[in-house]
Amino acid sequence: MSFLAPWFLLGAGALAVPILVHLIHKERKNIVVFPSLMFVQRIPYKSLRRNHIRDWMLFALRCLAILLLVAAFARPLVDSSASAAPIAVDGAREVVVLLDRSYSMGYADRWDRARAAARRTVDGLGPQDRATLVLFADKAEAVTGASTEPSALTAAIDAATLGSGRTRYGPALKLAQGILEESDLPRREVVLITDFQKIGWDGDDDVRLPERTTLTHVDLSDEETSNTAVTGVTLQRDFSGDRERVGASARLTNTGAQARTLRVVLELNGRPLETREVSIAPNAAASATFEPFALPSGISRGTIRAGTDALPHDNLFRFVLSAGQALSVLVVEQADAPASRSLYLRRALGLGDRPPIRTEVRKAGQVGPADLRGRALVILNDVAIPGGALGRALHDFVNDGGGLLVALGERTTPNAFGEAAVELLPATIGSVVDRTGDRGATLAFLDYTHPAFELFSAPRSGDFSSARFYRYRAVTARASEGVLARFDDGGVALAERRVGAGRVLLWTSSLDNFWTDLAVQPVYLPMLHQLAKHASGFAEARPWVTVGQVVDIAPEAEGAGAAARAATTELVVDAPLGESRRLAPGESRLVELTEQGFYEVRRIGARPGTERRVIAVNLDLAESDLSALDPQEMTASLARPDAGTMAQSSLLTLTPVERERRQSLWWFLLAAALIALGAETILANRLSRKAA
Amino acid sequence: MASRIAPQAVPGASFIDPKTLARIGNLELLARTVVEGFLNGLHRSPHLGASMDFAEHRAYMPGDDIRRIDWKLFARSDRYFIKEFEADTNTNFLVLLDVSASMGFAGPGSISKLDYAKYLAACLSYFSSHQRDRVGMVTFDNDVVDYVPPSAKHLNIVLHTLDRLKAGGKGELERPLRKISESVRRRSMLVLISDLYHEPEDVLRAIAHLRGKGNDLIVFHVLDRAELEFPFDTASQFEDVESGEKLPVIPDKLRSRYREMIAGHIDTLGRLLGQNRIDYTLFDTSKPLDHALFTYLSNRQRLMRVR
Repeated sequence: MSFLAPWFLLGAGALAVPILVHLIHKERKNIVVFPSLMFVQRIPYKSLRRNHIRDWMLFALRCLAILLLVAAFARPLVDSSASAAPIAVDGAREVVVLLDRSYSMGYADRWDRARAAARRTVDGLGPQDRATLVLFADKAEAVTGASTEPSALTAAIDAATLGSGRTRYGPALKLAQGILEESDLPRREVVLITDFQKIGWDGDDDVRLPERTTLTHVDLSDEETSNTAVTGVTLQRDFSGDRERVGASARLTNTGAQARTLRVVLELNGRPLETREVSIAPNAAASATFEPFALPSGISRGTIRAGTDALPHDNLFRFVLSAGQALSVLVVEQADAPASRSLYLRRALGLGDRPPIRTEVRKAGQVGPADLRGRALVILNDVAIPGGALGRALHDFVNDGGGLLVALGERTTPNAFGEAAVELLPATIGSVVDRTGDRGATLAFLDYTHPAFELFSAPRSGDFSSARFYRYRAVTARASEGVLARFDDGGVALAERRVGAGRVLLWTSSLDNFWTDLAVQPVYLPMLHQLAKHASGFAEARPWVTVGQVVDIAPEAEGAGAAARAATTELVVDAPLGESRRLAPGESRLVELTEQGFYEVRRIGARPGTERRVIAVNLDLAESDLSALDPQEMTASLARPDAGTMAQSSLLTLTPVERERRQSLWWFLLAAALIALGAETILANRLSRKAA
Repeated sequence: MASRIAPQAVPGASFIDPKTLARIGNLELLARTVVEGFLNGLHRSPHLGASMDFAEHRAYMPGDDIRRIDWKLFARSDRYFIKEFEADTNTNFLVLLDVSASMGFAGPGSISKLDYAKYLAACLSYFSSHQRDRVGMVTFDNDVVDYVPPSAKHLNIVLHTLDRLKAGGKGELERPLRKISESVRRRSMLVLISDLYHEPEDVLRAIAHLRGKGNDLIVFHVLDRAELEFPFDTASQFEDVESGEKLPVIPDKLRSRYREMIAGHIDTLGRLLGQNRIDYTLFDTSKPLDHALFTYLSNRQRLMRVR
């Protein structure tokens, strides 16, 4: 037992107060007016009773109250070193120091306290002890091997930096388990320095520390925390004007007990656009909506900043916006096709804004290989797959990731397709099936699990049954798994084939109102959009990703044909903190994003500002929940129940201030003092009444 | 005691407790029938046969004094009638009331000694007045404070004076009593009411001035129960109400000795006064006033028989 403020113990001198009260003041305060002291004066004065305390209980209560108050103000703390006796008393130790570097450790001074605790642990190592420093967040990494050199460990601790990941205890404890199991030293100890976030431990991790292992935990959590965070941004694009405009709305949370007013700033490319004052009630959420802004050309970096607090990392939210994410679609129709041939198709594709689709209709004879450049999708509307140079170009286009949608009709007879069709089409073309006699065919089967139709899987999400197909071509699918839709007679309505990095879709009826009334059904437009996006391999660029995600940087960084060019292109990935990583030709384009901020991807040799991709990386906001776990809960699940091992938790490495704050003994002493004072009041009143 | 006083609108009237009077009234009837009347026994007139007021006629009975036959009536009616006279003692009845500060003391749960003395004086004055005595009153501390000369019409003044009395001043006996003795010209019945915080010899010396003129003196010693028993149990500062002197006192240690001393004081007073044929009675303010009066009057009557 020691005291944080021992000079307060001088207050114990106040014990003289109740003594004086009992011996002196009590007599002086009672003055009895008596008619005459004529007889009293004749009796010799005796002061013997003054030296005695009559109300011992009252005296004891007053002394106790003062002692408790003095002890409470002196801030006592129990020295846990006495109770934390090591399990194995002799021999060298194998110590694994698990230092939490998740971004929640950036709350207030936790990181400094954590590193100080780690240094103290290293300082406490004996000459024969061996220690390993493990930094962990969602992953664990042993930054030093098992070392007996405290200087190496201290240097590693000094070099450790706060990460951007979330807390997960499982990997760190498993790593510690592995290190300890391989150790031949007689004593094993794990020092876990963390804020014990609840989200980091689900109890399902199958970790059992070896027998006779001591788990020393350094709990850096705070009893009361207050945190505000930007949990997300909603971006609403508006194409109605001549320029693309974006409206941003930020979601904010306040997990503290006090209401907060935040100054929320929207920045674009480093310049503040708009500032909003937002008040958030305790443990509540709010949103800040900004006026729509014109989106500049190229890639724009957006940032939402919401005030500052003890954990500033989650007060930032980044996103990336790119203008002109439109799909370029080339519709090829017969040279003599009437003007209405592609009317429905053109109009339907022109209505889309997510993404916007730029449609160009060309006659079959007017299309050359150069027309395929920059296209995302080619639709052959009742046009056979051409041969020759255009056919090869089309094949390469699909092979490089382009999309091809072939809609059959009167002109696309089996004979119209040459050898090029065999390599591209998912089915062989047959004769026309006329269903006008039985009021037309209906779609009887749709593969709702397929990405193209997944949108319609929910109830009332698209009625295909009302569409009538009066004529279609019978086709024979090359593989049954490529059939996405069938008519009620079992005939193939839609088939798909992957060719290289691209896709080819075959629609066996027409896409206008010649063979079917699908074009006038409500489901026509969304179906066509889905087919266009799927065939072209369109993936909406995510404005941001989360730390820890693995992103394939190739497609967007290198455009169509990336797969083919990957083998010859060298890319550089610039991390937010300045580290650059080169991706050699042929190397995987999968990159794990481990830092908060903007990643830049560029090609070697490319001009600055060209051919680059910017990825906004935000924190995993689960880490913003600072709720703490009871360390004993983790300790209990880590112990081997069969071996009577381990798990001794202690606060050995906490500073006295931290230990005192954890123990809070002063509070109990203060409560006891109040109880004693209350009892004293009651007793004194009773004694006074009795005396009266 | 105070609860037995009926609240009245007239000042001074509150001293007359009907219950007390009823008890005393019965005693008076008893005294009249047994002896010559209780009130006569209360104080014999120093002037025998002096003043006789006509009350009524009654038929002559053999054995009556023929000098009391009304001859004028005999002349008119030719029958013998005896003239009855109401007794009139023509005595001065003077209450000497100590109003020094010590008389203001009231023990726990009791009335002050001064209040008790007021009731006592009021009752006695009332009876005396009904006995056609001339009633008067003197209050004193270390000097004479109020003086109401004896008169048959001064009952109300006496009562009013009593009503507004307040305790204060140091107490002394000899000086005020000497002054009083100088003002009492006729032989009177004097009732001294005091707590007598003086040496018995001093008391005797002081009242010798009164006694020397042939007055009939009665001493009523009024003390509170707390003065008699010293029931305090907390070590305290005791303050003399008259001198202001303070003394730390541990009552537990003093109590028995104090009781012995106060009892000795009372005994000495009673003995010395008795030797000088002065009636002495101790009144405990915690006891009912009528009971004390009854006891006193009974004793007085018994003593009269002896005389």
